[in-house]
Amino acid sequence: MSSPDLRGGTAGNGGATPALDVRSASKTFGSIRVLHDVDLTLAAGELRALVGENGSGKSTLVKILAGYHMPDEGTRIAVGGREVAPHHAGVSETAGLRFVHQDLALVGALSSVENLGLGRGYGNGRMRPLAWSRLRREAREAIGELGYHFDVDRPVATLGASERTALAVARAVSPHTSTARVLVLDEPTANLPGPEVEQLFGLVRRVRDAGIAVLFISHHLNEVFDLAESVSVLRGGEHVATRPVAELDETSLIELMVGHSVERHAGRRPSAAAATVLSAQRLSGGSVQRLDLDVAAGEIVGIAGITGSGREAVASLMFGAEPAAGTVTVNGSPIPPGRPDASIAAGMGLVPAERATKAVMLGHDVAENLSISRPKDFVRRGSMRRRLEYQAAAGWLEKLDVRPREPRMPLAALSGGNAQKVILARWLRLQPKVLVLDEPTQGVDVGAKEDIHQRIEEAAGQGCAVVVCSTDNEELARLCGRVIVLGRGLETAQLAAPISADDITAACLADTRERSPREHHH
Amino acid sequence: MSITTEPTAIDPGPRQTAVGSGSRLVRRLGIGRFSGIYVWALLIVLFAVLVPETFLTASTVRSIGANSAVTSLVALALIVPVACGLFDLSVAAILGIAAVLVLDLQARGLSAGIAVLLTLVAGAVIGAFNGFLVVKVGIDSFIATLGMSSVLAAGAFAVTNGNQLVAQVPSTFVTLGQGTLLGLPRPVWYAVAVAAVLYYVTERTTAGRYMYAIGGNIEASRLVGIRVDRVRFASLVTSGVLGALAGIVLAAQLGASSADIGPAYLLPAFSAVLLGATQIKGNGRANVLGTLVAVVLLATGIFGLQLAGAPIFISGLFNGVALILAVSLALRANRQAA
Ligand SMILES: Nc1ncnc2c1ncn2[C@@H]1O[C@H](COP(=O)(O)OP(=O)(O)OP(=O)(O)O)[C@@H](O)[C@H]1O
Ligand SMILES: [Mg+2]
Repeated sequence: MSSPDLRGGTAGNGGATPALDVRSASKTFGSIRVLHDVDLTLAAGELRALVGENGSGKSTLVKILAGYHMPDEGTRIAVGGREVAPHHAGVSETAGLRFVHQDLALVGALSSVENLGLGRGYGNGRMRPLAWSRLRREAREAIGELGYHFDVDRPVATLGASERTALAVARAVSPHTSTARVLVLDEPTANLPGPEVEQLFGLVRRVRDAGIAVLFISHHLNEVFDLAESVSVLRGGEHVATRPVAELDETSLIELMVGHSVERHAGRRPSAAAATVLSAQRLSGGSVQRLDLDVAAGEIVGIAGITGSGREAVASLMFGAEPAAGTVTVNGSPIPPGRPDASIAAGMGLVPAERATKAVMLGHDVAENLSISRPKDFVRRGSMRRRLEYQAAAGWLEKLDVRPREPRMPLAALSGGNAQKVILARWLRLQPKVLVLDEPTQGVDVGAKEDIHQRIEEAAGQGCAVVVCSTDNEELARLCGRVIVLGRGLETAQLAAPISADDITAACLADTRERSPREHHH
Repeated sequence: MSITTEPTAIDPGPRQTAVGSGSRLVRRLGIGRFSGIYVWALLIVLFAVLVPETFLTASTVRSIGANSAVTSLVALALIVPVACGLFDLSVAAILGIAAVLVLDLQARGLSAGIAVLLTLVAGAVIGAFNGFLVVKVGIDSFIATLGMSSVLAAGAFAVTNGNQLVAQVPSTFVTLGQGTLLGLPRPVWYAVAVAAVLYYVTERTTAGRYMYAIGGNIEASRLVGIRVDRVRFASLVTSGVLGALAGIVLAAQLGASSADIGPAYLLPAFSAVLLGATQIKGNGRANVLGTLVAVVLLATGIFGLQLAGAPIFISGLFNGVALILAVSLALRANRQAA
């Protein structure tokens, strides 16, 4: 389709060569066209948001730019006026494109220092020894600029989600051999708590001020309005609009994304008078210290806190994924820590925050990813029945509106948000007594988020005790009857419904402001 | 592919290439998934033309069957750990030590039945030791089993003193390996039986599902409640037992054995498993049917070439090329997984 070449917010730059000029970008997988003649023009120093529902083609466009997908014929890409044909990562790198991919593209077994050098070298000749102490210092500076101070020698797999995001961003913006012209960020904030989002935005603005065009993808529309000057909308693989953000409000943007008007539901507060199902006493491990928490049947309890507060460790401790001190009981019987099989037998389910490394089997099909939580459901007369599996999977895909609705598709072919729904369905299928959810709607679009929230409430309505750990305070406010705020591994506040996102943000920040380093440990 | 030993790498997913009408045709015909069968048919036609009087005979079928039975057993043994994302490089050495042990035990006066049983137990014990090293100690399976195979090779020499062992054993044992049944050599039937059981386990049971899940993502598997350590341990015990079974069958087939008989089976078996992973199911996972197709394909090619007068080293060449080809195919299939 043809689209007007609006350069929202950059009217002054009318005549200059665009930093990035994409013409009729198309991509077909098999026989499915997921991207349709998309045009996108970014001026130097422009900060553009790219939004669209799950599966609308945002990441596909990014991967074409990155030389990861080969686009269909007719696609033309120019960077700084020079036509490029990105057919591998090196080409787009040299042309001046920089990326933070949705899955971050870090190598888990390597340290931060090593990851920073991937794709751009380590600042010395190919066959020269590495100057480790210099590299370490640079790595610390690079992450320090984003407000992080973790150990740069640890394997990246052991870092938390937001630390990994920071690392990927640092890698993209740190000096390379070619001049950067365009920075593309694919959902960099999906795993970041509020204060860290602010830090990231500060950095992004500095990058923009240096004359680099920024393309920023997010499902958090408030971020779009905070950060971007203009926004492009994809719907079903087509470019439907590019507008200055000043001309839009949240509702009109959502309508552009989904193509019709929407109503958003206010949360129903689950009542919390029922019996305690999940109980944690003096639970300690990772950065969490002596956490006490009771969750009743049908209750949804939120866990909030900035990175380092312990929030990121709670889900795996509650579920018993790792060895820990203290006790967790389900309906009174203790759960041995470090034995997920025992937790699951007791009726628990965990949706981890790190989808790529801890939740999905990428090469396996969608149905297999769903049934793996209890494959014996599909055994009849001593033999697993694929047909039953596909039927059940098709039902769940329909229920959670996963697109495409194809249980035979390899999970790797699903967009991020749709994959997240599959992982949730994996547990909903078992009707668990306890659901522990870590960033349950990461990478999920507004509409789908509402779907998922309704599913979570439905599970709670059937008596499931739910713990939601989230950096998305809107989400916690929407879902939870009670929110526990953590700071430095300890509970610093407890909020009860009605809760607003601002209350939670304030409580999270209050803690960091009031305590200076090395202050009291109870 | 599912044979990575680096589960920590964050895989960015399959890399896509443009899909032209040509490769769409390829997919329609299933040429990727069934390429092995097509190539096999091609080989048969080729050799039928090149060496018609010798190739198109019942004895060819018997020879190929007899030659590939033991290789099939080793390859089948390998499928189990490979599905779990583990290598068992010691499986051929287990075959080697089993082949001398089963004859040596009988030479010491034990009955064939007891000797076979003890040899299978020995295979299980070796597999358990591999499992201990990999699962409990945490050594990479590649390294642990590589070390183990060297130890076992030394063990085989110790048993034989470096001599060839010729079976002075009850003829019951030798007929187990040398007779035919329904026109096919007995070892072929053993391989078929093992394949049938393994097919059922890998494709039809939850245990099989767990194995592939672990090969796909070990941490995700642990978090959905799979006892990954147990499954991985059991997979190495299984390959130990099946490797020992292959050794027993080989000893019975030859009526003799020597300390250096094992290693030659490693490469063909690996080639078959990796090539087989691209076949039939075409999802890059080690699987029984694909492996069998690959074994027969390789055996037919080598046998035909030898009939056509190719030198003896052709088999090494053929297997090596097949291994490289298999991995290239698997990578390509992975890229196009869609
Ligand atoms: N390798 C693939 N093979 C087949 N289809 C694919 C493949 N990768 C992506 N798709 C399909 O392309 C469509 C667009 O996916 P894409 O990842 O670009 O969505 P997205 O806009 O980034 O969504 P999200 O917000 O959920 O990340 C989806 O329908 C997806 O299923
Ligand atoms: Mg995406």
